[in-house]
Amino acid sequence: MNRQIRQLALGLMACYVVLFVALNYWQVGRKEELDAQFDNTRSVLREFNKPRGPIVTADGIVAAFSEPTPPGETYDYRREYPTGELLADITGYFTFAFGSTQVERVYGDVLTGSTAAQQVRGLGDLLSGEFDNAGSVELAIRHDAQQAARFFLAGQPGSVVLMEPQTGAVRAMFSNPTYDPNTFVNADFEVAQEVITELQNEDGNPLLANAYQERYMPGSTFKVITTGIGLEAGVLTPETVFPNESQWVPPQTDDPIQNYNGSTCGGDMATVFARSCNIPFARTAIELGPDAMVEGVEAWGVGEEIPLDIPQSAASTFGTTDNLDQELPLLGIRGFGQSETQMVPLHMAMVASTVANGGFMMEPYVVETTYDSQGRVLDEADPTVWKNPLSPENALIMTEFMRGVAERGTASCCIALEGGIPVAAKTGTAELGLESNPDLSHAWIVAFAPADDPQYAVAVSLINVESTADVAATGGRLAGPIAKGLLDFMLTGPGAEADAANEPADLPGNADPEPGLESDG
Amino acid sequence: MTVADDLDPRNITVHDGPSPIATRRRSTELTLVVMAALITGAAYTIAALGTNSEIPPGIVVFVLILLGLLLSAHVVVRIVARGADGTLLPLAALLHGIGFVMITRLDDRLAGLQATWSLIAIVVFVLTLVFVQRATDLARYRWLLLFGGVGLLLLPMVPGFGSTINGARIWVSLGPINFQPGEFAKLALAVFFAAYLADRRELIAAKTWKVGPFHLPEPRDLAPIVVAWGFAVVVMVGQRDLGSSLLFFTLFVVMMWVATERIGYLIVGALLFAAAAAFAWTQFSHVQTRVDIWIDPWSRSLDSGYQIVQSLYGLSDGGLTGTGLGRGNPGQVPLAQNDFIFASIGEELGLVGASSVLMAYLLFIGAGLRIALRTERTFEKLLAVGLTTIVGVQAFIIIGGVIKLVPLTGITLPFVSYGGSSLVANYVLLALLIRLSDSSARRLGELPDDPTPSERFAAWRLSRRMRRRGTTDTPDGVPDGALAATATTLET
Repeated sequence: MNRQIRQLALGLMACYVVLFVALNYWQVGRKEELDAQFDNTRSVLREFNKPRGPIVTADGIVAAFSEPTPPGETYDYRREYPTGELLADITGYFTFAFGSTQVERVYGDVLTGSTAAQQVRGLGDLLSGEFDNAGSVELAIRHDAQQAARFFLAGQPGSVVLMEPQTGAVRAMFSNPTYDPNTFVNADFEVAQEVITELQNEDGNPLLANAYQERYMPGSTFKVITTGIGLEAGVLTPETVFPNESQWVPPQTDDPIQNYNGSTCGGDMATVFARSCNIPFARTAIELGPDAMVEGVEAWGVGEEIPLDIPQSAASTFGTTDNLDQELPLLGIRGFGQSETQMVPLHMAMVASTVANGGFMMEPYVVETTYDSQGRVLDEADPTVWKNPLSPENALIMTEFMRGVAERGTASCCIALEGGIPVAAKTGTAELGLESNPDLSHAWIVAFAPADDPQYAVAVSLINVESTADVAATGGRLAGPIAKGLLDFMLTGPGAEADAANEPADLPGNADPEPGLESDG
Repeated sequence: MTVADDLDPRNITVHDGPSPIATRRRSTELTLVVMAALITGAAYTIAALGTNSEIPPGIVVFVLILLGLLLSAHVVVRIVARGADGTLLPLAALLHGIGFVMITRLDDRLAGLQATWSLIAIVVFVLTLVFVQRATDLARYRWLLLFGGVGLLLLPMVPGFGSTINGARIWVSLGPINFQPGEFAKLALAVFFAAYLADRRELIAAKTWKVGPFHLPEPRDLAPIVVAWGFAVVVMVGQRDLGSSLLFFTLFVVMMWVATERIGYLIVGALLFAAAAAFAWTQFSHVQTRVDIWIDPWSRSLDSGYQIVQSLYGLSDGGLTGTGLGRGNPGQVPLAQNDFIFASIGEELGLVGASSVLMAYLLFIGAGLRIALRTERTFEKLLAVGLTTIVGVQAFIIIGGVIKLVPLTGITLPFVSYGGSSLVANYVLLALLIRLSDSSARRLGELPDDPTPSERFAAWRLSRRMRRRGTTDTPDGVPDGALAATATTLET
């Protein structure tokens, strides 16, 4: 019998060796694959049961925090967003079933205290009895600026972006429509799923921030780029003069290009820029030619995803460029921001910032500083140049052109700032040319102020606005007052005082919810 | 030495003489038991730190109670089975400790119950060692054990008495206490098989019955054991206890093979198993479900495959070194404290920890089979093989199920899973193995073979009776029990 017992021992041992091999297969061999399975909630669950630090605006308002749940709840913590929809596009959300987005996603490690730096520091804290290692994130976004942006946008579909030209710090970035993360982050799976599905199917997809995750036809605001390319290439100078004409037939076609509303328009460079004639920019684009134009827009970052520090920002586009030399009329039209040209609103704020910042385009950022659990700084935003499409001299020339827009051009109706602070601007009215609704446009304005010492650049885009018999839906009329309101708020209004006192400002009182819309045109 | 000499009370002397081998084994056991207690205490602390970030307030008391329990078990072994293998008890204690820490970490309420069951298990362990002083005593009760085992198996079927939990009708409810009599039935039937086969193994192996071209054992030799086995398997299948029926099937086939030394039983067993499995697969939907979720659990990852999918996610999340005790989410797996406790261990202690558990079972199997090799008595050999097979195969079935190596059949992980009946039954099994080990050590002359208290008592009565009769001849009027008790020491 001993022989059989030895064989039994070998057999059982073989069984356990097979178990060991199978364990290796699951725990090591297929680990990555299993961890990445869509229905594997382990890593999220682990995060969910850790204390998670707050996200705070630059002026000290808490945008997201975690609070322990009463014993017996499924999760140990609830995530709360006290500012509701105001900062949702920046903070993103942190859910069990649907993962996390934006700052919650990118800075998840900091917020749970699991970055290498925090782990090392945490070791010491563990010995001293401090176990909560959760870090915190301070945004570059100012709560008061963001509130003002929402206030002036007044519920219209579109977005407002306010940034500092010299650093790339985004001080306000509000998109409409948006969503309130509180409606689903702590809800049960079914409820959360229902809310998210509803949001996804809503008009304008509130879950996507149109300020940086969508792109739109920019209209005449794109002329800033075309002019910049022309100046750099030497095709344009301030002395360039364009003929006074209402239509121009470009090469390769019989179909003429017209100015806005078919008006007659011409003159020196400053004048055509201020009046936003179309033909001169079509001529410039065609004169530059497809190669120089494509190269030029690329120098401005068109075609690249915007290097924002939170995920899934969109890329602006100049459209397909394969056969552009056979389609010079299209090149001309794109030169003034129509046809396939599409810009991300944040990118347009960066374009204005580039002019304001001597030709340097900074990488935009929404997170200023990260802290560990003890309030020690982990990481600070490091202003970085992304593109340099313009020489300082040409930036100054462009500034003058844009001041002309504000002082005597398409924006003169609506953007004169309080206290006579000089401002530089460019308007845009992108005619969508829909057969169903020919009056539908995107109304734009980009601006920066003070023009002689820029502190803020702003981009306002209003999506799908409709001209009426009384009011033409132009960028100057519709978007201009929003830019003015926000710049006034930041430069001479409560935002300036708050900035000086470093505390949150009060919003303008019960003012007209759509300020400026009444002002004449 | 003749029978008459041995019966002479003058020859029965008490000599608890020194034995270096026994002393060494007990020292080893003591050291290992203390280590197991310390590992358990440390794991308990770490698990509490991981879940609540605080050192458990009762940690000192916990470790003291744990040490107290294990040390009392050790002391009893030292007194009544001092020649036994020194690794079995520490291995069981380690597995039990890891299991207890995981159960505490998963569910505080169950931890209290499991602690109570642990206490009962140790007490039953001690009682088993004290009452079964000679392993061979068990062989005498083979028929009683057979019918008792069958009765235990049938107990859950009694209306108003048994109850169905998680689809298996294997529970008996007595007031607030639920237990699975099947856990004890397995042991009883293993003892019966060992005793029966020890008697008839040669007759069965002889195969004197010719049916056409086949040579088979005589039906009257084979019938009782085949009937007992077939009945048990059918009852377990009927109770939807697939894991137990598989274990029991394997146990029987292995014991037949070892006893008869004929490989044919393994082959016939495998064929029978294949046929039965194929039949069950076509006939029972719950068997089909088990096979389906074994082949592709992801296709049903939200219902029947959820448990196994979550188990695999847990294992993969644990990876090489684990998430750390208290830092994972083993609660995602339904029944994590029970059949799926191995997945919890793999998640929080990683491949390293899970492999340690595998290693502990391997060592246990090794120690158990070494007992079977060392003893020269057929009954003890077969019993040691049977008991070791129960632990080894049961752990393999459930671990393999949890890691999707074999179809999942619910069964507890010996010593580790939550569950009172399973724990108590496993400690009885452990006590029997320790007893077998001690017996063979005594017969091998590694320590003096002292008479047991009951033998001393029988001998004392015998000598008194003989003195009264004034004769030293073979005693006629000796009660059967006393004679048999004395005779056990002579059996070869």
